[in-house]
Amino acid sequence: MLTIVINGKKVKAQEGSTVLENIRALKVDIPTLCYHKDLSPFGACRLCSVEVKANGKWQIATSCNTPVAEGMEIRTDSDAAKESRRAAAELLYYKYPETGAVRDVARKLGVEVDRTEAEGHDCILCGLCVRTCREVVGVSALTFQDRGRGRDMKEPEIIFDPNACIGCGSCAYVCPTGYVQMETDGDRRIIWGKVFKMVPCPVCGRYFAPEDQLKYISKTTGVPLGTLTTCVDCR
Amino acid sequence: MDTVAFSSWNGKVVDNRNGKTAGNVAVDLPAPVGKVAAMMGWNGLVVKDSKADIPSLTFNYLKEARKISCGECSVCMIGIDRLLDIMDRMARGQGKKADLSEMQGIVKQVAANSKCSFGQSALFPVLDAVKYYKADFLALISGAKKLAGGACGVEVTAPCMDACPAGLDIPGYIELIRNNRFDESLNLIRRNCVLPGVIGRTCTHPCEDACVRKDMDESLAIRLLKRAAADVDLAQGGKPFGAPLREKDEKVAIIGAGPAGLAAACQLRLKGYGVTIFESLPHAGGMAAVGIPDYRLPANILSHEIDLIKRMGVEIKLNTKIEKLNVKDLKKDGYSAVFVAVGAHEGNKIGVEGEDKGYEGFVDGVRFLRDMNLGVKIEPADKVMIVGGGNVALDCARSCVRLGFKKVEIIYRRSRAEMPASDEEIEGAKEEGISIRFLAVPVKIIAKDGKVVGAECIKMKLGKPDESGRRRPVPVKGSEFTVKTDMIIAAIGQRPELPALDKKVGTTAWGTVKVDPKTLATEMEGVFAGGDCVTGPATLIEALDMGNRAAEGIDAYLGGSAPAQPVSFKGVDLCKQRGRGLVIQSPAVDVAFVDPKERAGKFEEVEGGFNAAAAMREAQRCLRCYRVVVWEQA
Repeated sequence: MLTIVINGKKVKAQEGSTVLENIRALKVDIPTLCYHKDLSPFGACRLCSVEVKANGKWQIATSCNTPVAEGMEIRTDSDAAKESRRAAAELLYYKYPETGAVRDVARKLGVEVDRTEAEGHDCILCGLCVRTCREVVGVSALTFQDRGRGRDMKEPEIIFDPNACIGCGSCAYVCPTGYVQMETDGDRRIIWGKVFKMVPCPVCGRYFAPEDQLKYISKTTGVPLGTLTTCVDCR
Repeated sequence: MDTVAFSSWNGKVVDNRNGKTAGNVAVDLPAPVGKVAAMMGWNGLVVKDSKADIPSLTFNYLKEARKISCGECSVCMIGIDRLLDIMDRMARGQGKKADLSEMQGIVKQVAANSKCSFGQSALFPVLDAVKYYKADFLALISGAKKLAGGACGVEVTAPCMDACPAGLDIPGYIELIRNNRFDESLNLIRRNCVLPGVIGRTCTHPCEDACVRKDMDESLAIRLLKRAAADVDLAQGGKPFGAPLREKDEKVAIIGAGPAGLAAACQLRLKGYGVTIFESLPHAGGMAAVGIPDYRLPANILSHEIDLIKRMGVEIKLNTKIEKLNVKDLKKDGYSAVFVAVGAHEGNKIGVEGEDKGYEGFVDGVRFLRDMNLGVKIEPADKVMIVGGGNVALDCARSCVRLGFKKVEIIYRRSRAEMPASDEEIEGAKEEGISIRFLAVPVKIIAKDGKVVGAECIKMKLGKPDESGRRRPVPVKGSEFTVKTDMIIAAIGQRPELPALDKKVGTTAWGTVKVDPKTLATEMEGVFAGGDCVTGPATLIEALDMGNRAAEGIDAYLGGSAPAQPVSFKGVDLCKQRGRGLVIQSPAVDVAFVDPKERAGKFEEVEGGFNAAAAMREAQRCLRCYRVVVWEQA
């Protein structure tokens, strides 16, 4: 265990844990849009910024991807830290004013949000879907297309690879804004525009999973496909 | 640099406007070709002509910055978009006074809270413009002035890119690896480096020495990341190069299938030219084939990459030595231009008594490596002494270990600090039990019955620096000593063996070909030259870069467009930036090496590469230090 200082208070922290985990353990409310405890941190939304003392100087740093170090001093409640989080929320709200998840965060962080109802479901490039697909599902059907020298992309976006997708829907589950839509209707599931054939359970008859997903699970776990085609409830 | 009207370069304000004489900029600035009225770069605003339109320059700078703002973190991408929206409103005469303070607020937040070095540093000059050229912005807001608009010059670099002889977009290909887009990463690498698997294994990586992380924890493993892009591609079967957009009628002859010749061939073929390479050896690859041992560069990696170039339609005629370069005959055969890239394959004399006697057991380094790589059987003796301190000497020594020599010793006339070989080679040699005798040099070969049995050597001490900047070794009188050895390999440099050239092709005192540094044209029309035969022995990446540039020069000669002249960043500290976020210490991801005890007797590749997951982890460490410069021509 290490000792760190959060807002002037000494606390014990697990080695290898992040600043955000320790802040949240103290019940300090820091809303985020790109963080998930089961995924590697990405630092996209910048909403978890705090001040960390480095070389005697307070510096803004995103707490989600800053690992703790012995004696590390952290401030979440300084004017600079609060302003940094508010400014990040304000910029997100500027870009995605219609998106509910963004409006909620912006309001919480003191940004003036207009009263109209949220109707948008923009992709805010948080990268949760990309990381879930790669780190949890293990197929990497989603990748981040960004801008850079010689690439001149107008807008960065998430690229979908239909050949790699197994239709599991994890990306839709993890998406904070509702941008990733999944429709399941009887023997069909549509996600990212790709249509998947759903498999019915031979016992209860319920269409419970896309065929491609079961094939993928069979391939990676070695469990025969015949076992997997029966739903978990009836197995 | 001429006098400036205003500068905020490196954050140091020099304001000579309104009759003030505050001074001048004390450091070198990026230098575009031609006269510059005003320049905005990552590190500040520099105005030379007081009539320059700073709001226009700012608008143009933001547009270019937007192309580099990747979109992976919200504040940089949205902040720049918002700044552009504000400037756009101003340009349309709908600006407000409050816009200026809003701009300053956005810049400060983007700088403080961006994820990468680019976002943390890029917008400071915008702050300077708004602060020191406030009147110009207010005139725009009030409608008293309009934006001049107009085109501007732009250049993007990074400390690593600028250090790379071939100018690879290093942050770009690292970013694509980080995003699991290995395929596109390889495409980007191939634009400037047609042998990624070869260079990814053998490069001396000046980029890594320039990496901003070097002084923080450890440089990015840039070379290994390039290798990873090539390895992932090879594991999937190896993607071919694209086809030329349009075939051209002209054919180009290339003499020498080394890195320079291959790069030129590939780039010319992509432009649509027919290409034939004449190679004197039975294998293509030049020094990559016969100068670098297999434990550093497995033969199948090189042959795969050459094969991809051949599949583009490049013809390589092996075992075809051009003894006499006759341009007339080549033209008769339909070649419109010639590129001479014959390398430097002749070992230099070391100046010891007896080296001309043809003793058995005395050989020069490049000859030794060439014989070995071409399959000539080399009988290991008990002891071998290698003379020299460069990478060729190290390649010879480490090969001798693998060939089964029992005792391998390097003798070098200066000390470790002056040794030109790369650190990893020297470390590798030590691990393999090779001893290095510093500050000594052989003066006489001792032979018995025409066979080397030893060497008389003399100790050296370091004197004053010579023209290379390294301290000159001076013999210590009376310090002679004798070393027993069965073989001596002299590896103290190479020179080119040029085909008999027309007198019109000028050569230098060092036996290299004289060329125009921009176009690589020789003094004879239609004949270009590049690689080691121009520079003298240099690195593979330098040769490859000259191949790329020769292709541009030849294309321009044959009617294509003239190559763009890059901005010079000479003397500019590209590592310096005005804002820097918190960098968490994390050393480079390790790769596995073959156990030193297992290396003798076989030429198995000694360094392991990254797999895709490890490469993606390493790529995360890149700070993405892109630097944008935009300027208005005077």
